[in-house]
Amino acid sequence: MVNVMDNPPTPPTDAPDAPLMRIPTRRPSAKDLPPSSELVIRAERLTIRYGSFAAVHDASLEIPAHRVTAIIGPSGCGKSTLLRAMNRMNDFVPNASAEGSLFYRGDDIYRPGFDAVELRRRIGMVFQKPNPFPKSIYKNVAWGAAINGYQGNLEELVERALQKAALWEEVKDKLHESAYALSGGQQQRLCIARAIALQPEVLLMDEPCSALDPIATARIEDLIDKLKSQYTVVLVTHNMQQAARVSDRTAFMYLGELIEVNDTNVIFTKPGNRRTQDYITGRFG
Amino acid sequence: MTAHFVDLLDDLRRRSLRMAGLVEEVVKQACEAVFQADPEMAKRVVQRDADVDAEEVEVECEVIRLLALYQPVGSDLRLLCTVLKVNNDLERIADCAVNVAERAKHVDARTLVGPYEDLRQMGPLVEHMLHNAVKAYGSQAVNDAEKVLSEEDAVDALYGQIIRRLVAEASASPAKIASFLDVLSVAKNLERIADHATNIAEDVVFVCTGEIVRHRTH
Repeated sequence: MVNVMDNPPTPPTDAPDAPLMRIPTRRPSAKDLPPSSELVIRAERLTIRYGSFAAVHDASLEIPAHRVTAIIGPSGCGKSTLLRAMNRMNDFVPNASAEGSLFYRGDDIYRPGFDAVELRRRIGMVFQKPNPFPKSIYKNVAWGAAINGYQGNLEELVERALQKAALWEEVKDKLHESAYALSGGQQQRLCIARAIALQPEVLLMDEPCSALDPIATARIEDLIDKLKSQYTVVLVTHNMQQAARVSDRTAFMYLGELIEVNDTNVIFTKPGNRRTQDYITGRFG
Repeated sequence: MTAHFVDLLDDLRRRSLRMAGLVEEVVKQACEAVFQADPEMAKRVVQRDADVDAEEVEVECEVIRLLALYQPVGSDLRLLCTVLKVNNDLERIADCAVNVAERAKHVDARTLVGPYEDLRQMGPLVEHMLHNAVKAYGSQAVNDAEKVLSEEDAVDALYGQIIRRLVAEASASPAKIASFLDVLSVAKNLERIADHATNIAEDVVFVCTGEIVRHRTH
């Protein structure tokens, strides 16, 4: 048994006029950052159609730098379509077409001649289900940079990307083992590391935690919170609590329309639109 | 699950309103006890305070349970926060009513004509404010709540007048100091009840609009 008197508490050494209560320090969050006026992505009256069906209709949205913007809404409301429009992933969907404008750093990404491949390097994507390549952990991270002709030290790049994805400590001794040996949460962080290795500016995340358990989800959410100091994050999620926890801005979509965009704090305490209110309180339909 | 949560919220709101009705009744009885010098009524007020205390704890537990289990947002979150705050105000109002009732056997109307008359005006005014605050809380009507906010100044003015008169009379009749203190105590507690009624009205504005209107000059 430990006698507490063996280790008596150290008397305070503060000056007599020091405040009685210490305010605990906390990890700085992007919410502590000054307001971002820098826009990375801006959609202007954007309509995305699959054939004649408008999955996103007349949407105008601004994505500020170094912030997490969450897009929420019921299934089929067009949130993933809007997300995929941001790096032209919809180009791979047959019959998909876009009207209106979507600007990345002021340049309309749907103008003829725009380099969509370079765009996808600058705007990376993380999908719903972790989708590592059937290769080693190392090759998963290094592959994208290698085929893009990366001239630097690949090992350093891999380590840096894995550290930023909060996975390095767990995999540093088994870099050449199969990525499939990792847990679901680790695989998802590997996919984030893979995206980061291409040194993007924006990370698009399409329900990145929907296949993960609560602990793995918490780790990804912590990671998103860290990443936003270096990257701009756009997150599609079905989980409203997750949007509330990790995002700075929230956009609510319904039936292809962007109903309301505001600070997350406002959306979840006093939304301006009745449909937003009904959706977040679960009274929808 | 959502329909179930909505039912639970409705139950909680009804329960909080029942408590508000009980507290309103207790305040009315406390004023009667003082102004009609009715010690039996005063005793009933003191006894009913235990019911209010028990109900306050029950309502608080239910709010905490709903927050923990359902993580509400938007208007549901505002409602739960408001129920919790109003719950606290109601319990404090009942305590003030007990303080008023406990002075019933002491306040001597015959010897304190001036301040006592002001006190007689203050009682119904405070009852009226509380009634309107509870009504606004029940109907969640911003207009009704704003009327309550506009009435606070009249109560404060009467309270100030009572103090000025007491100070003037106390220096002229120091032998009556105990009675003066009783009147002061009743006036102070009525003024506190008016403050709590104002808090409830402010919380009604919050639950309806999301705006926090506390600490603004009306």
